[in-house]
Amino acid sequence: MSVRKIARPSGHWLSLRYALRELRGGLHGFYVFVICIALGTMAIAGVSSLAASLAEGLAREGRIILGGDLAFTLIQREAEPNERAFLEKHGRVSSAATMRAMARAQNGEPTLVEIKAVDASYPLFGQTTLDPAGALGEALAQREDVFGAVADPTLMARLDVSRGAHVRVGGATLEIRAALASEPDKLASGIGFGPRLLVSQDALRATGLIQPGSLVRWHYRLRLPANDASDAAAKALATEARTQLPEAGWDIRSRSNASPQLERNVERFTQFLTIVGLTALLVGGVGVGNAVKSHLDRRRDTIATMKALGASGRRVFAIYLTQVMVVALASGVVGAALGAILPFAIAWMFGAIIPLPLVPALHLDELLLALLYGLLAALVFALWPLGRAHDVPVAELFRDMVASQPRRPRKRYIALTAISVLVLAALAIALSYDRRVAIIYVATAAAAFVLLRMIAALLMVIARRAPRPRATGLRMALANIHRPSALTPTIVLSLGLGITLLVTVIEIDGNLRRQFANELPLKAPSFYFLDIPADQSSRFADFVQTQAPTAKLEEVPMLRGRIVSAGGTEAEKLKPREDAAWVLQSDRGITYANNIPNGSRLVEGNWWGADYEGPPLVSFEKRIADGLGLKLGDSVVVNVLGRNITATIANMRAVDWESLGINFVMVFSSNSFRGAPHNHLATLTYPGGGKPAEEVALIRSVAAAFPMVTAVRVKDALDAVGSIVANLVLAIRGASGLTLVAAALVLGGALAAGHRSRVYDAVILKTLGATRFRLLAAYGTEYLLIGAATALFGMIGGSLAAWLIVAQLMHLSFIWVPWPAIAAALAAVAVTVILGLAGTYLALGQKPAPILRNL
Amino acid sequence: MTNNSQAGPAIALAGVNLSLGHGAARVHILKDIDLHIGRGEAIGLVGPSGSGKSTLLMVMAGLERADSGTVAVAGENLSTLDEDVLARFRGRNIGIVFQSFHLIPTMTALENVAVPLELAGIADAHDRARDELAAVGLSDRLDHYPVELSGGEQQRVAVARALAPDPAIIVADEPTGNLDEDTGKQIIELLFAGHARRKTTLVLVTHDPALAARCARVVRLRSGRIDGVTPP
Repeated sequence: MSVRKIARPSGHWLSLRYALRELRGGLHGFYVFVICIALGTMAIAGVSSLAASLAEGLAREGRIILGGDLAFTLIQREAEPNERAFLEKHGRVSSAATMRAMARAQNGEPTLVEIKAVDASYPLFGQTTLDPAGALGEALAQREDVFGAVADPTLMARLDVSRGAHVRVGGATLEIRAALASEPDKLASGIGFGPRLLVSQDALRATGLIQPGSLVRWHYRLRLPANDASDAAAKALATEARTQLPEAGWDIRSRSNASPQLERNVERFTQFLTIVGLTALLVGGVGVGNAVKSHLDRRRDTIATMKALGASGRRVFAIYLTQVMVVALASGVVGAALGAILPFAIAWMFGAIIPLPLVPALHLDELLLALLYGLLAALVFALWPLGRAHDVPVAELFRDMVASQPRRPRKRYIALTAISVLVLAALAIALSYDRRVAIIYVATAAAAFVLLRMIAALLMVIARRAPRPRATGLRMALANIHRPSALTPTIVLSLGLGITLLVTVIEIDGNLRRQFANELPLKAPSFYFLDIPADQSSRFADFVQTQAPTAKLEEVPMLRGRIVSAGGTEAEKLKPREDAAWVLQSDRGITYANNIPNGSRLVEGNWWGADYEGPPLVSFEKRIADGLGLKLGDSVVVNVLGRNITATIANMRAVDWESLGINFVMVFSSNSFRGAPHNHLATLTYPGGGKPAEEVALIRSVAAAFPMVTAVRVKDALDAVGSIVANLVLAIRGASGLTLVAAALVLGGALAAGHRSRVYDAVILKTLGATRFRLLAAYGTEYLLIGAATALFGMIGGSLAAWLIVAQLMHLSFIWVPWPAIAAALAAVAVTVILGLAGTYLALGQKPAPILRNL
Repeated sequence: MTNNSQAGPAIALAGVNLSLGHGAARVHILKDIDLHIGRGEAIGLVGPSGSGKSTLLMVMAGLERADSGTVAVAGENLSTLDEDVLARFRGRNIGIVFQSFHLIPTMTALENVAVPLELAGIADAHDRARDELAAVGLSDRLDHYPVELSGGEQQRVAVARALAPDPAIIVADEPTGNLDEDTGKQIIELLFAGHARRKTTLVLVTHDPALAARCARVVRLRSGRIDGVTPP
């Protein structure tokens, strides 16, 4: 027979058939592989399914959350008759006013409340549920001089009052007639610092809180006629409103983006959790690589035999690649299935208490994507060892080979590995919410891998070149670190990634806690006082200084305004940087000043003189201006109280936001708002932070003397934000926990893979007279040296990553929190030594004779 | 080398040299080997340990490439074939029997025998494998895994696997080395029966002079050189 006549085997399924045949023997050696891929895929599938379920809930309930098909919000003023007429022409209108105020119980106890004053049409969509059940109109109705109110149960608990109790808000008396069990449009209002108090608009007017310049928002919700209620119709009407009434300056939202802030937060958080999931996959990938390498090492005879029987190197590669991908697929499917359960589990366990419209569903696209991540991760880490299988020499069947030196796979396999790495990175970046964060992540992950490989290589070089110690144990330990097929690279990689992640999370956690629990309260003022009527501001200042003589009061005029256009471009058409977009999203507090405000410094341009009388000028916060693409001399149009005011950017300031003092993105020249009614905003700061007792006493006396002024206790607000941050950190910790499990598994797997050679070494050394203690000491020293070197890197790497996230992405100050990081690193070293010695101890228990007979 | 497979020798080695290892550890294993083995001939390769018998066998099977000289098998110059073509060529033309059997542990006896047929793209691989196993007396062991078979049975499966693609050449490396005497005899009978029935060329590496004597010619190796051929 001639070689020219040899046809290429046609069986396309041959590789699959052989791959499956090999798997019939079970998944021995693949357990770490399976768990790693399943865990990573589960994390990604779970997070993305949950986010998709949430997005679906937000979309499905958009008009309920928004309170209408469209919502038009005005700040500090009600709609003009022509504006109201425009809305009424297009459908049914319901209005609601929201503002913060102080509610006082009959015993004088005050508390901050979020008032919502509704009309008879409220709600246009959804249901307001009262406890006890009843009609909302009835509950809010006026009876003699007293108006009805419906209160969040938290408010009733805080004031220690029950149904029927009277509370004072401003100049009005309200009777709490029911508890608010559910409020359909609660989500659109964002985070409230106080509990809700639902009243009628007559009641709100009776309080006297609505004054020119009060911080009240008027929301006009529109229900389109049933025959014209499409998303497209809603959007078209929004455009028409902007065109026909350009001076209105209202913030218009349609039901398809009922809560853009929440959606953005969900997406941003999903991205962070996906990154943690990806990290789990990458750490697990090291385990995949190890598992594939050990598997192929065990199959060298089979591979050589197949090649002796006519299988080409390419065929061998195809068979084992198929096998690895079949296992990865099965593991990924299990992981994706577990991840798919997450939204259902959360809805089942916490559905009643989470204030989000979660619609649990199977999101096949998200699950397939998670599966794709899992498969790609497996491919990235398996291709290199698989490529080596191509060149397993058949000659091994004829002569005993000492463990052959691993060598580079052929170029085509190196290229395939590189391509799959690029595809994985591209996928992670392309599908991310914030590409910048994704690119930083990919670069950091790549750097961590390369650095850890370099550290392992360096460690091996140092061990090789170190002077030979006289102590046998130490000499053996050093030799074990650098000998061919030493465990050093694997341990360094898995342990290093694990410690790096652990330290990153610990440092971020510690810094956020420090900010919210310790530093901010110390630096921040104790109170914000809102809505101080301009004509009472000096009396207010005198009163507060008498009550709190040591505290420092700062008071500034405050108006609210929306940016209509900047640098000649309409706000809707601006393309701001991610960290500056919030400025355009709703109205912002603005002020005017003659001098540079405290807590900020001039970085560009010149400040206007105290007696400046020219056209309006504005000072912009530098980072936000950069984010909006603005420069000195650009014009900014701001709508204040229904008037568009055009100002020129005269200078830029850097602001210390963390001080939580009074800071504004935009500070105007004093002549810009001449004649515009406005109130004042004040902060009160006790030197060295306020004591709870003096703060409570002050809030009571201010509430009694100035019922129109709203006091926000910063500690309470920080607690509210802090508890949200704590929940987020908890979720990150949960997801990171998965990664740490993966890291521990990979480490355990690597140590177990080295177990066979440990048994061999231990038996030989025992026959040569080594005691158990000496062997344990040698192996313990080896693990300790590798673990300590890796832990040091992990601490540095993790701290750097945390600094990058806290300082560069979150823009908060970063202080290295040493002890938890050191404790984590020590714990990781201890785990390595214990895991390693546990395996070694088993090896030491082996009787030499049976093993020597089989050598 | 031209396509004159029907006319020339089954195996033709000319001036073959081979060294293994690197640097100071490099050993010159085969030295100027010239050997022609005719079609259907049975050759015994004998010699002391380390004389290069197994290495010469590997060179004939295309498992090691010679450093110099030419190796022609079934009319093909093996040094001109790339690795993949060589693998397919081996699968169809050369059957190999190892001293340590080297069955694939995750496959049944039937599947093991079918491997070279499947790799060669033969459609009725399993039917032919079944026939080959019947021919070595293992019809009742088709679905057994190697660990469920005795050493003799495993080597019979290996012989069936080597014969299954109907190769022109069978090479066997001490096929009875891991077996007891009786079982070893049975294996040798199978190998010679296959050789006689199919007119295959048989190259047998052995330490056993009696076994070598059953071959038409015996090639003696010493220190990597051919020390003598009987009859010459």
